Amino acid sequence: MARIRPTMTDDEVMEFIANGYVVLEAIVDDSYNRACADVPAGRADDLAQDGEFIRQVLLQPQAAGVVRSLLGENFRVPTGAHHHLFSEPFVGQTWHSDGLSGSGCEINEVQCYYYPRDVTLEDGPTIVLPGSHCRVVDREAIAHYNDIAGQVALTVSAGTVVVTRYGIWHRAGPKLNHNPRSMIKYSYFRQASPRRDWVVDSERPPAYHADVKLTYMGAVEAYREVVRRRRTWHWLCNLDDAASRHVEDPRPYYELGSRPVDEIDA
Amino acid sequence: MKTAVQEWIESSRIRLQSNTFTTEDLDQLEELTSSRRQSVLYLSSQSTNMRSPISAWVLFDPSQPHAPRAPSQDPPYNSVLEAVADGWRIVQFPIAKLYEYREVDNDYIGYEFILERWN
Repeated sequence: MARIRPTMTDDEVMEFIANGYVVLEAIVDDSYNRACADVPAGRADDLAQDGEFIRQVLLQPQAAGVVRSLLGENFRVPTGAHHHLFSEPFVGQTWHSDGLSGSGCEINEVQCYYYPRDVTLEDGPTIVLPGSHCRVVDREAIAHYNDIAGQVALTVSAGTVVVTRYGIWHRAGPKLNHNPRSMIKYSYFRQASPRRDWVVDSERPPAYHADVKLTYMGAVEAYREVVRRRRTWHWLCNLDDAASRHVEDPRPYYELGSRPVDEIDA
Repeated sequence: MKTAVQEWIESSRIRLQSNTFTTEDLDQLEELTSSRRQSVLYLSSQSTNMRSPISAWVLFDPSQPHAPRAPSQDPPYNSVLEAVADGWRIVQFPIAKLYEYREVDNDYIGYEFILERWN
């Protein structure tokens, strides 16, 4: 039985909640990257079930530690994968989230992008939109979108694994050259009920405090974002009490402070 | 963002100064003005206010090949009003009622202005 230790702290979980992804740079051994880069394009289920891939990639301690932190004990390990391989120049994909994803604040699935080769800007990197993972999106309705302020092109070294909240908006970026660009995609799923059992240094969960600015959002969107983040944090920490609900109000904490007038001796 | 005619004027000024302006330049102008095409610019603004910052942008220019271009973090204009000042004409304003405001759900980026220019 594989024993996986969580690796994320409270602050790192909070940042993941805000951004919807975390980059684990060059964590897979380079000799194994070279073997994976030659896997045929398309379905890669055999690869996903190969013992060496499970050991080197799926249960690589840093990657699995992040997954364990976000999905809890005894999470489900993928048995399928897809190798997205682009070799010729092309204009890139349109923005989309996979499937019909995006709704809700729970984290029951994380999707990973594993890059067995270096990816430069000219290679057509995956582009992600931080903070977009709670937006249900009709990909045809946004097919005309192109550049978005704050988008992040994942230019990474070989062996990088990017763990994303399933539902994050992404696309294969414009490809300007003939170098192969590989990305192997797969998902893990939650089995355990959520609880704060990642790396913690206090008994009591801190208030959600990650202050990640997303440049494409206006003021109302920023308030909505605060609510979404706090809800996800409380859900992950299994906090369902009135006090937690109270601080899901998007206003700054200082605006929510109050006490009964009877308590004031004036 | 310069139109083809603006670029023609710029280069023609230089030709006039160097006495290299010819009737071929006028033929080129005639070609440019007789084969004008509509370019469309989508600008998603952070609000319905035309002075708000730009969240997302894309240009559809039929005179340019459909070729890959590197992603950019820099919008062509800082606001819709700046684009209008540069000669773009708004053909559709964002209709606020189409932007649903239900709890915290959202499925769009900014408020979309559609602009055109004839090049």
